[in-house]
Parts: sequence; C-alpha cells; structure tokens
Amino acid sequence: MEQLLSPRVNSARLGNYVAQKQPVRIVGKISNFSQKGDTALMTACDGGEVKIMLNAGHNMVDTFVEVIGTPIDPSTVRYISCTNMGANMDLKLVNDVVELTFDPKFQGRLF
Amino acid sequence: MSQPNDFGANPYYGNGNTGGGGYLTGGSPFGSASGSPGGVGRRDALSQSLRPLNVKQLVNATQAHADADWTVENNQIGQVTVVAQIVSIQNQTTNNVYVLDDGGGRIEARHWSDSTSGGEGFDGIETDCWARVTGTLKTFGSKRYINAVHIRPVKDHMEIFFHLAEVMAVQLIFDRGPPNAHGQNVSPSAAGHASASAYTAQSNNVAAGGAFSHLPPVQRGIIEFLLAQPENEEGTHVGAIARAVGANADAISEALERLMDEGHIFSTIDEAHFRVST
Repeated sequence: MEQLLSPRVNSARLGNYVAQKQPVRIVGKISNFSQKGDTALMTACDGGEVKIMLNAGHNMVDTFVEVIGTPIDPSTVRYISCTNMGANMDLKLVNDVVELTFDPKFQGRLF
Repeated sequence: MSQPNDFGANPYYGNGNTGGGGYLTGGSPFGSASGSPGGVGRRDALSQSLRPLNVKQLVNATQAHADADWTVENNQIGQVTVVAQIVSIQNQTTNNVYVLDDGGGRIEARHWSDSTSGGEGFDGIETDCWARVTGTLKTFGSKRYINAVHIRPVKDHMEIFFHLAEVMAVQLIFDRGPPNAHGQNVSPSAAGHASASAYTAQSNNVAAGGAFSHLPPVQRGIIEFLLAQPENEEGTHVGAIARAVGANADAISEALERLMDEGHIFSTIDEAHFRVST
C-alpha cells in the first residue's frame, strides 16, 4: 500500500523522500524545457527549483502543474504523471497549505 | 439563575465552565454532535451532516458493528466529501466504479446508475481528473467504498488546496471546539454590550487568542498587554497600560471598568494596578 501513496511536498521537503523512492507530488510553475525536451525546470510552490526528468509521453502543457514523480535527488524528480493547473495560481497559498499538512498536529493523523 | 451545567460534558467545548451561573450559548452548529441523547433525532442530524475528509481518514474510519455509524477519531460521520484524483473508471451495468486517489490513500467510489442515465456516469469525469465526490461510507463484504451521491470535476485546482485546508480546520474544530466558542453569537457589538448577563459565557481560559477576540479593540488591547507582562503579584499600573494601548484616558478607564465587570481583570494592591483573571 505504501507504493500507492504520493505525499505532496515542496522543494525543501523533497530531500526527505529520496531514500524511500516513493512517488511525491509537487506543485509549481514550469520555467523552461531543455532543448531536447527531456528535462524541464520547475519553480516549486516554495520558490525552490526542481528539475524534472521527462519521458516521451509526458503531457505537461500548462504553466502551473502538479507533477507526480519519483525523487532522484533532493532537487530532481523523474516524471510519472502530472495534472495541468492552468495559467494562474497562487503558489504562496499552495505552499502555505502544503506546509500546514506537515504540522505535527496533522502528520500521521490526516496525512 | 443557575442552570445545571450539562454543557460541561460537551466534548466540543473543551474545558467547560468553571464559573457558576452562565452556560455556553448556542448549540453546536454541527448537527452530528454525539453529546446529545435521543436516538432518532440524533441519527437524522447525523445523516444530514457533511464532513470533509481525506481518503486516508476514510480508509482508517471504524465502525462498531455492521450497521453502526462510521467513526473517524471518535467523531461520528454522516455524509462525507472528498477531493481526489480519479485513477480509473469502470462502467458496469448497474453501477460505475471510480477509484479515487488523493495522494494519501486510495478508495473506491460507486455510483449506482438509475435506469434513465444509461450507465454513462457523470459529465466531465475522466481518468486522471480531480473531482469532488460526495456520498456515504459503506462496506461490501470486507471492502469499503463511498456510495457516491454526486461527483463533479474540479474546475479550479485551488479547490484541492481548499479541501485540504477545510479538512484540517474541521478536524481542529472537532478537537478543540469552534474558534470563537464564547463569542459565537456575538457579532462585533459596540463596546457597551459586553453585558454581564447570566447568558454570556465566562471566558476564564488563559489563551488570549480565542477567548478574548470578541472584545472591542481597547479592551482586547488591555488584556493582551496584561498577558504579555511577566508574572507579577502586584499587577500592572494603569499608566503603563494606557501608554501601551495608546487610547485616551477616558477610553481606558471605561474599558477597565467593563473588563472588571466581566471578571476578566481585577485590581491588586490598589485601584491603579490590574491583573488578568485566570
């Protein structure tokens, strides 16, 4: 069942999930794609940069996306899938909610 | 008039009252309050209630026996609403099965199709889309699922984060009582109305955050300043209070009088020194 969980993190917390190789979700803004289209750079909801290693069938089209991916290192994930979230998003608000989910009051109970 | 203090036991109002006489105003706004007796009335209220939850909470919910109400952490739940991604859709003759995943767990949702809808499911629902699902928790054999009343796609993805925040907020309300437990029915009334009637709850709690936020600004400022002072038997001099709060002398004395009437503060070594009542 653990394999089916995909906690939502930001760039700062990504490092905590590298060892477990468990997929994570990160919301952010795509800043660019590499020439060959095999990687993309995302500014995560907390402002940190995350590299996304893509595969040929990816469908990241919008500026704001939530990427589900496997962490490779504290600032890289390998793309599994994504949700396109349009052209406008309040990333600070998203980050505030994400950080709240890690509050000890809720971790373990709700998340 | 002193009433027997039944609400002291109400789990939603935390510490209950230490003062005699007043009792907490208003019933719990959450119809699913399990504190009240009366079988039928309670069950109806419960079945009308709607609780926002995560999939993880649904997966961990417990049921005393097969027909009992579901419980999430000691609170019974009636109808539930979740926001999750649709992982898969299975259209069968009598029903549609959706597998939901919100990152913290997976659960099935089943929607029984009536003869008219032809088993096509809800508009706009496709695999991988985020959706809001509302329904009741049920089991079929050993497997639990949401018996979905309504499923609709999420249009603005901030709804996902709204739902997370709502789940957390509602959980805290069940843990600690509504944020303004004492001032629930008290709108920002004029300074004069912090009336000393028997129906106004005694805000005896120490926390300045919730308990005093229904007070008008000058009174609240005084309380906050007093609470911020180091522990001192003699209390704080009114001059220091006036300088800190910054209102004029008349406003300060009036506010101090009202606070004393309410029992929030008391004078210590002389008429000019005050402390917050605990």
